[in-house]
Amino acid sequence: MSELIIKNAAVCDPLNGINCEKMDIAVKDGKIVESVSSNADTIDAKGKLTMAGAIDGHTHCAGKINVGRLMSPHDMRMNPVNGLSGLQPATSVTRAQAGYNTPNTFALGYRYSKLGYTTLSEAAISMMAAKHTHEEFESIPILDKWGLTLFGNNWQVMNYVRDEEPEKLAAYLAWGLRATRGFGIKVVNPGGGEAWGWGKNVTSIDDEVPDFDVTPREILVELAKANEDLNLPHSIHVHCNNLGKPGNYETTLDTMKIMEGIKAARDRQVLHLAHLQFHAYAGNSWREFESASTQLADYINTKDHLTFDMGQVIFGPAMTMTADGPLEYSNARMLHSKWSNKDVELEDGAGVVPIVYSPKSFVNSVQWAIGLELALLVDDPWKVMFTTDSPNGGSFVNYPEAYSLLMSAKKREQIIETLPELAIDRMVLPGIDRELSFYELAVMTRALQSKMFSVDTIGHLGIGANADIAIYDIIPDKIDAGIEHEKVKQALSATSYTIKSGNLVVQDGEIVSSPRGKTYWVNASGRVPSEINEVTLKDIQNNFRKYYTVAMSNYVVDDHYLPNPIEINTQEA
Amino acid sequence: MQKVTLTLREKNRIPIVADSITPDNFAGLSDRDIEQIPVWHGNSQVFLGDIFEVVVDGSDTAENVVIEINGDVSRIKRIGQGMTAGEIIINGNVDMHCGCTMSGGKITVNGHADNWIGCDMRGGEIEVNGNAKYYVGSGYRGDTTGMTGGKITINGNVLDFLAEHMSGGEIHVKGDAGLLLGLANNGGTIIVDGDATMAAGEMKKGLIVIKGTVHEMLPVYREDGTEEFNGETYRKFTGDVNIRGKGTLLIK
Amino acid sequence: MNVITDAICPFCGSLCDDLTIKVENNKITDIQRACVLGHNKIAGVTDHARIEAPLVRKDGELVETTYEDAIERAAEILVNSKRALSYGWSSTSCEAVSKAIELAEETGSVIDSCANVCHGPTTLAVHEKGSPAASLGQVKNRADLVIFWGCNPVHAHPRHMSRYSMYAKGFFTKKGRKGRHIAVVDVRETDTAKIADTYVQVDPGCDFMLLQAIRSAINDNEDVIPEIVGGVPKETILELATMMKEARFSCVFYGMGTTQTRSKYKNGDAVSSLLYDLNQYSKSVMIPMRGHYNVTGFGQVCNWETGYPNAVDFTRKFAYYNPGETGASDTLLRGDVDAALVAAADPGSHFAQEAVKCLAKIPLIQIDPYHNPTTELADIVIPAAVVGVEAEGTAYRMDSIPLRMKKFIDTDFKSDEQIVTDILEKVRELKRGA
Ligand SMILES: [Zn+2]
Repeated sequence: MSELIIKNAAVCDPLNGINCEKMDIAVKDGKIVESVSSNADTIDAKGKLTMAGAIDGHTHCAGKINVGRLMSPHDMRMNPVNGLSGLQPATSVTRAQAGYNTPNTFALGYRYSKLGYTTLSEAAISMMAAKHTHEEFESIPILDKWGLTLFGNNWQVMNYVRDEEPEKLAAYLAWGLRATRGFGIKVVNPGGGEAWGWGKNVTSIDDEVPDFDVTPREILVELAKANEDLNLPHSIHVHCNNLGKPGNYETTLDTMKIMEGIKAARDRQVLHLAHLQFHAYAGNSWREFESASTQLADYINTKDHLTFDMGQVIFGPAMTMTADGPLEYSNARMLHSKWSNKDVELEDGAGVVPIVYSPKSFVNSVQWAIGLELALLVDDPWKVMFTTDSPNGGSFVNYPEAYSLLMSAKKREQIIETLPELAIDRMVLPGIDRELSFYELAVMTRALQSKMFSVDTIGHLGIGANADIAIYDIIPDKIDAGIEHEKVKQALSATSYTIKSGNLVVQDGEIVSSPRGKTYWVNASGRVPSEINEVTLKDIQNNFRKYYTVAMSNYVVDDHYLPNPIEINTQEA
Repeated sequence: MQKVTLTLREKNRIPIVADSITPDNFAGLSDRDIEQIPVWHGNSQVFLGDIFEVVVDGSDTAENVVIEINGDVSRIKRIGQGMTAGEIIINGNVDMHCGCTMSGGKITVNGHADNWIGCDMRGGEIEVNGNAKYYVGSGYRGDTTGMTGGKITINGNVLDFLAEHMSGGEIHVKGDAGLLLGLANNGGTIIVDGDATMAAGEMKKGLIVIKGTVHEMLPVYREDGTEEFNGETYRKFTGDVNIRGKGTLLIK
Repeated sequence: MNVITDAICPFCGSLCDDLTIKVENNKITDIQRACVLGHNKIAGVTDHARIEAPLVRKDGELVETTYEDAIERAAEILVNSKRALSYGWSSTSCEAVSKAIELAEETGSVIDSCANVCHGPTTLAVHEKGSPAASLGQVKNRADLVIFWGCNPVHAHPRHMSRYSMYAKGFFTKKGRKGRHIAVVDVRETDTAKIADTYVQVDPGCDFMLLQAIRSAINDNEDVIPEIVGGVPKETILELATMMKEARFSCVFYGMGTTQTRSKYKNGDAVSSLLYDLNQYSKSVMIPMRGHYNVTGFGQVCNWETGYPNAVDFTRKFAYYNPGETGASDTLLRGDVDAALVAAADPGSHFAQEAVKCLAKIPLIQIDPYHNPTTELADIVIPAAVVGVEAEGTAYRMDSIPLRMKKFIDTDFKSDEQIVTDILEKVRELKRGA
């Protein structure tokens, strides 16, 4: 079978405690092995920086992104990042590519691969439209994917929370994960989505959700408990209430605090906070708007029950897309921009609104700073996942720009100098001189994800791991990233080699092959007692009979939509 | 001074995309060089020399290049796209996207122009001595800024959606305009000597003057006295009131 | 006997998924709960004039041939064309659409769907303003006001009203029709208008004017509204606006009466703008009344695979999109394509005469289960299985909810997906040889 040996790699593999050490990596049948025969193909890495394939733990790559595409045909021609955006013709190995913030599926696959990414976590599967997400997954070449299923405004969830039926709640979640072939539990503006069904919202974790007699606090806590009862590989993944509003950091702190007592079923966090930058605002109005990253980082530095991702902002055009329907409407009104909305019966909503982050805007400048502040003020990189909440804060093709900002105080300084003075007053970034190492970057882009999502075959290069490998044109001990930040950015923008499941997919920044990826899903049904399952199914059937507009049998995603599945069974773990 | 004369060899039916025909691209080139410039004819690549007889007289920089095109180029798209200087004279009808994204120089069409002439225009001048079709001086699909500068003069009539998303520059139509001209104007000046229908929706700012009859006045403007324009008195309307627009619409 | 429950109706964009189909000896013997349109389509698989075998035109006559021969000839036509048009794909599966897009890319062709002559303007409006939408169940469970604008579901979407809109009872709408106000805006008093609570007659082509006037009323700019707009008295306009503002949840269903009349996509654009303002006061959404059962699915697949929802021109190897230039009828009216592939559509009867003339002049490949006027123009005719009856696959409902269509009976006809896959393979073979 196929064998490969990568020689002279400068391996940076935090999960195995390896920090840029020169070594060889042997690959056989898509896995990393002890050794290979002398017939193995050879890649000479020549001392270049070598990491496991990166994992985007929070990206919008399938489903809702299609609404964004429909709203922005002009995005298809945008080409601000050379080689990673705009219209590109088909070649003998690649399909035609288009777009920047909302690229077509093929471009998503190729461009992520060029950056050294091999796995994506789609941040939101709408249950009723789950087939759509899986159809797009299948169309994205090369990469492996999974998606987190939206539960935070689901009628059946809220009913069980109100009626104090934790076992049925867990049973419903297990059913929902199976029905949607989801990986974990996503909660977006809990309760706010249901309120948006009437054009309203909730404004704190203790507001009552209209007609349901529950609060966001109760939804969050009960979902977290059920998540652990089901022994899910990932914790609940939360987009807090009040996203994007001045003063919202208090809601964020409340959300973190109520999870302190939850006991983790696995060696990982019990709460992941998505795109924390958008939830780290102080001040009581836009006029008073300022960074609250210190308040949040101080708390996070003293606790071990949570992780978060940055939600870094990139200056320029972006496309916001979220299940947070009311937020997107207020965005659209504030920005005088286009507005798409998509409420889904009994479940959740969604909104999509284009945005431009301008370095001339004081608010946008502070937002840009906050993402970096959070990553740099939290001491332990194992709590910080790198993201731009692509394409909400900016397209993933800008990741190298953000990496170099994290790695170079000088680069940050150069940009800060150009920002409005008012913005500089309202941020804490200018006082931070921390510069991340390649090792820390590897934690935030691969190793942490492996732990956070409890997938031990990815995110590292130990024996038995998937042979997902990225080799960058950087000799780690011969570069000072703080000074040579532009060089770092260029090198991280296109790998010398990307290897996916043992196949060479990128060489010298170009796609050389395009195999199909796999889709992970989590089967937790083994954790549900059958008598509980039965009564819960009756409730589910009742909802379909009375309220849904599709039949239950047509709602469930069948095997057809996952031709290459990886099933994670939580009973075995 | 460099004069380039392109004479169409044979009229084509399948469109040719000739965005390479600009003074910028031709400056300093010989006839041989120009003949070798590739263009798309449907899904196959051909060369300008296959399409045109090319005669070059002199050699100069773009601002001193004059391109004269003879023949019916009503199936040759994107002539003058993105040009920054110099002049193009088209003696015949021309296909879509002529002069789109241009930022300088002048294009004269001695014939009719098809859709999207001057779309996304940034500067320079276009004059059409005939009619033009849809979307004169407008923006590309999805974009919220169209023409931002320059001047377009159409000596005949235009069809619908004139100057959609215009946000700068000037358009003068000497004949009639079709439906919904000047939609979402954000700072441009549009003058129509003839008639127009449902004009000036969603104007944020800018000036639209209709000298002929406005058929079906949109119920989104507030009358605001009169105003003089080029020595004539017009009824003045301000709107679009639904987007709190500060645009001025002058009609008789 | 085989009983198929929760079967999906492959007729209109309502995509009703509660049918029961009985099959005996590979024949459909009973169809329950389908409307008359759906019933005819499903039962018609054996009744209507099927294309029995692949055909090729020789000396002006269509003569029988094999699948292999027809597919090879089709591939030759496409490989030799400078700019072919691939059109239709709205009454077939998403899986077939995906293959059709790959074929268009491989052959440097233009591909477009039937949206070009129905709801294509809807997507143009979304480019401009976005779409404040919801799944149909939101209307069923919440709506106390439903407005049918330029559409006539009584005839075009018969079960829409009982399943989703007019009569449907849901969680917050236990009274069904009684608790719901129904308004119809149309140029004539349709059968839907006759059973509505409010009927507003608008002059033909004046929807845009009327929408603008309602928007002015919503925004308290009554003073700019003249006494009559588009044939509708100001008083009625103000009533409509008040009705919308005071509703708890309203939905505007809009049909071809708005998308294919004067001002076309600007009408959808105007509905969107109206809702953008209205939602400050009351929840309101809009949903297009899509005709062909999977025209929505074409848009979805095309959007994720090419970046654009329809009218994609691959002649320059990358995706180029510009309806008005790259739409099916745009190219046919200009006659600037030199071959055509038409699948699951009938441009022969739905397009303008000039466009049909162009089709008659160029080599034309048809993929379809049935004879239709396009067959008379075709040079190669490839019979296909009826998707949703004889072949399975994904379709998207008018509100973009995906459903998997079932196969009820077996057939010897190839599916659209298989036919396109075969042509694509042949095209690649020919290109390698060249
Ligand atoms: Zn997100």
